[in-house]
Amino acid sequence: MNAFTNLPTEMPVRENLTSAYRDLWDWIAGPGNWWTGAERVAIAAEARGARDCEFCAVRKEALSPSMTEGTHTTVQDILSEHMVDAVHRIATDATRITQSWIEETFSGDLTDAHYVELLGITVLVISVDQFYRALSIPLEPLPEPREGEPSRYRPSTAESGVGYIPMIPADLLVGDEADLAAGPNTPNVVRAMSLVPDCVRQMQNVSAAQYLPVKQIATLNMDVGRALDRAQIELVAARVSSINECFY
Amino acid sequence: MLRASSETNKQDVDLRAVMGQAEGDVGVKGGAELAAFAEATVTGGDNAITTTREGVLRVLGPEATVDAAGVIGNFERMVRIADGSGIPLDKPVALVSADIREKIGIDEFASSRNTPPVRGVQRVIGRIMSKMLPLMFKLFGPEREKRDSSTN
Repeated sequence: MNAFTNLPTEMPVRENLTSAYRDLWDWIAGPGNWWTGAERVAIAAEARGARDCEFCAVRKEALSPSMTEGTHTTVQDILSEHMVDAVHRIATDATRITQSWIEETFSGDLTDAHYVELLGITVLVISVDQFYRALSIPLEPLPEPREGEPSRYRPSTAESGVGYIPMIPADLLVGDEADLAAGPNTPNVVRAMSLVPDCVRQMQNVSAAQYLPVKQIATLNMDVGRALDRAQIELVAARVSSINECFY
Repeated sequence: MLRASSETNKQDVDLRAVMGQAEGDVGVKGGAELAAFAEATVTGGDNAITTTREGVLRVLGPEATVDAAGVIGNFERMVRIADGSGIPLDKPVALVSADIREKIGIDEFASSRNTPPVRGVQRVIGRIMSKMLPLMFKLFGPEREKRDSSTN
């Protein structure tokens, strides 16, 4: 894949960043566990377009998301209205997502695993786009979708009870999912998307380049090979999280 | 993590910077510039991003600016994973962070609803654990894992 090659020379973007982004684009382009390649690229397009959606801006200011009516500004014609709404909520109003909304939206042919895969693609694209935006680099064109059918793989070890969606308990990250573990006590945020294990793999791959490899996060006095020291990294992390009102 | 990393590395960081409430030196080199860059990228327009990025470039250089952009991108993702999946804080983190969350206002965030409040004996345990944070990271973090695996 020839993506992520057109970067300005004055910004020394590390090779591990472009490599992780290239892997991500390649992953998005192909069929996943629950969505086709075309649907996944459409999800990515909506994740990118949501920040310019006027309805999202109005809804975010409303006391409750259910108090507003309107139509999203969409940038593709593959996804249903409900799926566009799901992507836009994650992108622009994630704090107010509830379990009941997920259960109502992802019912019938659409499962909680469809939601997790949509969540994973949406948040990963946002993280790459925000990196580009921060450096005022034109956004990377989305990949061309590849043909193929979703695998419909669902790990049998996933359990409900921690968050809104089933996830694999830390002590059951074994066998095919052993590589998702981040030490003996894999935190909730690493396991949150484990209903679709490849979402966790992509998250870990991009995280390792943008932030830190997950197994190094708890080693606070280690030289992490960055130009920023650990306190500088954590200050940026905490400031972004607080602006987004992230309790976690 | 900011508090834990600053205590481990014996840095005196003004944690109010997390909420945009610190004035002057926050105890981290380029801290004010980094915080402004993060804020502009999350909430501001192109001009604000450019201006604040130039501040980071001036104080910390181009490699650090790219690193900061990476961390901003990373946490724009992680907050949405946490909110979109409704996960609570992991129990040990909830215990040790209870006081600081209350002090700087993080408990007011809407997504705090996903984590049960820490009260009574748990609060006391959390305070004790919090004092021992750097030691705990040494004892139970990945370094311990590495030591264990190298001796096996």
